[in-house]
Amino acid sequence: MASRGASILGSRASRIKTKLQSVLEASILEVTDVSSEHAGHAAVKDNLNETHFNVKIVSPKFDGQSLVKRHRMVYDLLGEELESGLHALSIVAKTPQEAGKNL
Amino acid sequence: MAAATLNLLSIRASSSSSPSSCTNYSSRITPHISFYSQLSRSTTFPSLSFKLPNNSNRHSAFIIVSAVKKLSELEPITVPSKPDDFSDELPSDSGVYAVYDNNNDIQFIGVSRSIAASVLSHRKSVPELCSSVKVGVVDEPDRTTLTQAWKSWMEEHIAVTGKIPPGNESGNGIWVNRAPRKKPDIRLTPGRNVQLTVPLAELIDRLVKENKVVAFIKGSRSAPLCGFSQKVVGILDSQGVDYESVDVLDEEHNLGLRETLKNYSNWPTFPQIFVNGELIGGCDILVSMQEQGELASLLKK
Repeated sequence: MASRGASILGSRASRIKTKLQSVLEASILEVTDVSSEHAGHAAVKDNLNETHFNVKIVSPKFDGQSLVKRHRMVYDLLGEELESGLHALSIVAKTPQEAGKNL
Repeated sequence: MAAATLNLLSIRASSSSSPSSCTNYSSRITPHISFYSQLSRSTTFPSLSFKLPNNSNRHSAFIIVSAVKKLSELEPITVPSKPDDFSDELPSDSGVYAVYDNNNDIQFIGVSRSIAASVLSHRKSVPELCSSVKVGVVDEPDRTTLTQAWKSWMEEHIAVTGKIPPGNESGNGIWVNRAPRKKPDIRLTPGRNVQLTVPLAELIDRLVKENKVVAFIKGSRSAPLCGFSQKVVGILDSQGVDYESVDVLDEEHNLGLRETLKNYSNWPTFPQIFVNGELIGGCDILVSMQEQGELASLLKK
């Protein structure tokens, strides 16, 4: 796991982006690595890089879905990442209509 | 209030030997003048009536040091029933106050920077014990004067009844910890060495179905170990909702919970919040629901 963690260093954000983009057809997709804010966190001792991300995503596929379902859609796409050290995501998931209201 | 708790130990120590013998001993400087020596170690009592060994009448000593009237000279004020009335009927100044139950027994003697606010919080947490209150406003409320006023009332009460007010006994948390005490976190198992007769998933299932709100968090609710969990606790606290919490990092009592819960809820991260047996999500969703005003209505259901 450690060697794999090192080899993918710096690429998790782009993989997250690719995975979400292809399936959710996002019109807005921002992925920010905020792992450094969680350094020293009780549960991330052994995996200090690329553990925490903020994801902001606007997708028509969220239409009619509850927040729980939207987050699950995101999590489901990122299963591999979650198994390889991705620890937490902060997710903002909106439909284009909702995003339009708040812009 | 912390000062009151601390110094109680001193009062307790003194009550075992009679006050007059205490005075005598202090002039002989024997090692077990526990009262004085303990107090001098405690920084909150820089000067004390007990330093005056010449004074054979201990009651007059109190009057000298105390900024407030004696308890026996004060008339009790009925504790208002409506929160709005507190600031009208009780002073919002610094001072001491003694809370009486409906048998006219003292339950607690406290020091406060706002007597009205303190009595109100007692009334909220233990209404059955707050019937009336005597108050002594301290005009120059430095810490020393306040503490001395408190001590004079404590001593007066002890001299009359021979007892410490129950609320001032050490270990009695209902008066001194005025912030509502955090509930303990729920432990799913008695310990990691105990063989479970029921699968963990079933324990989770029962827990979330039998309780309206359950938060699975990292760390305890009184000391969350993750910012998201902290936020969740903060939001639930602010909603004033009664909720249960489970520490997913507690390997002693919740061993294996993280993996089992992830599968149970089909949700890969923590914290997780369940309402009426259903996962409503993690921190982001809770925050979002609160902002949209949806949370309050959900919690009312």
